[in-house]
Amino acid sequence: MNENLFSSFITPTMMGLPIVILIIMFPTLLFPTPTRLINNRLVSAQQWLAQLILKQMMMMHSPKGRTWALMLISLIMFIGSTNLLGLLPHSFTPTTQLSMNLGMAIPLWAGTVITGFRYKTKASLAHFLPQGTPVPLIPMLVIIETISLFIQPMALAVRLTANITAGHLLMHLIGGAALALISISPTTALITFIILILLTILEFAVALIQAYVFTLLVSLYLHDNT
Amino acid sequence: MPQLDTSTWLVTIIAMILTLFVLIQLKFHKYSYPLSPAPKTFKSTSFPTPWETKWTKIYSPLLLPQQ
Repeated sequence: MNENLFSSFITPTMMGLPIVILIIMFPTLLFPTPTRLINNRLVSAQQWLAQLILKQMMMMHSPKGRTWALMLISLIMFIGSTNLLGLLPHSFTPTTQLSMNLGMAIPLWAGTVITGFRYKTKASLAHFLPQGTPVPLIPMLVIIETISLFIQPMALAVRLTANITAGHLLMHLIGGAALALISISPTTALITFIILILLTILEFAVALIQAYVFTLLVSLYLHDNT
Repeated sequence: MPQLDTSTWLVTIIAMILTLFVLIQLKFHKYSYPLSPAPKTFKSTSFPTPWETKWTKIYSPLLLPQQ
């Protein structure tokens, strides 16, 4: 039972070849490169979407922070498309792998922190002590702020992994339950099936929201540090 | 939990780094958002000297004194 339930999260290898590489690279095929001044509908729609997201996200940043625009738009499109493709039956979702999410979160968070240290050293160090704290509390508060700083990349990675994994697991379980209930009591099976449909709609939302949250938080850490 | 099997972590991370930092960014950096085409305004940077502000007939080449 355990082996069956988690089997969709094993990194796919076919006869020793890691085809996970191809699965991770697949979403890039869905974003054709624009080669004309006026492009076809798919490329125009994607450009429009990218502009919408960029305007919304980069408005609050200084010119220094806006140099990260390409990185952030790539991040949100990559995570969003990967999550949405994972909702197809029998597909493998790379964002369920803690390795990949840690690999995304740690370098991006470290980049924002190091940028802050290089350009605004005093201001970035001042983040460790909120304004107006009573003097006796200062040592404890610095320790707490340091811990909360270092937990940011872990939280980013684990949040994405846990949300997508939990959603996929729930869909497996409820789908299996609906299938088993058909022979026992069709009414209950129907109710379970409706729950499955609602859950799938939720998973679509979660797929997009998680991409948004990840990118928004990276953008927030960037804003703090530029 | 299969996600904690670290034998596959290296492959996954390298594939992700390649995709996220190279492939996807190569696609998105080609996006261009040109402004709508509009005629360019002609503004000359040189100002006409007082005797050139008004076109007078004597500047026509065939009317200059023939040398």
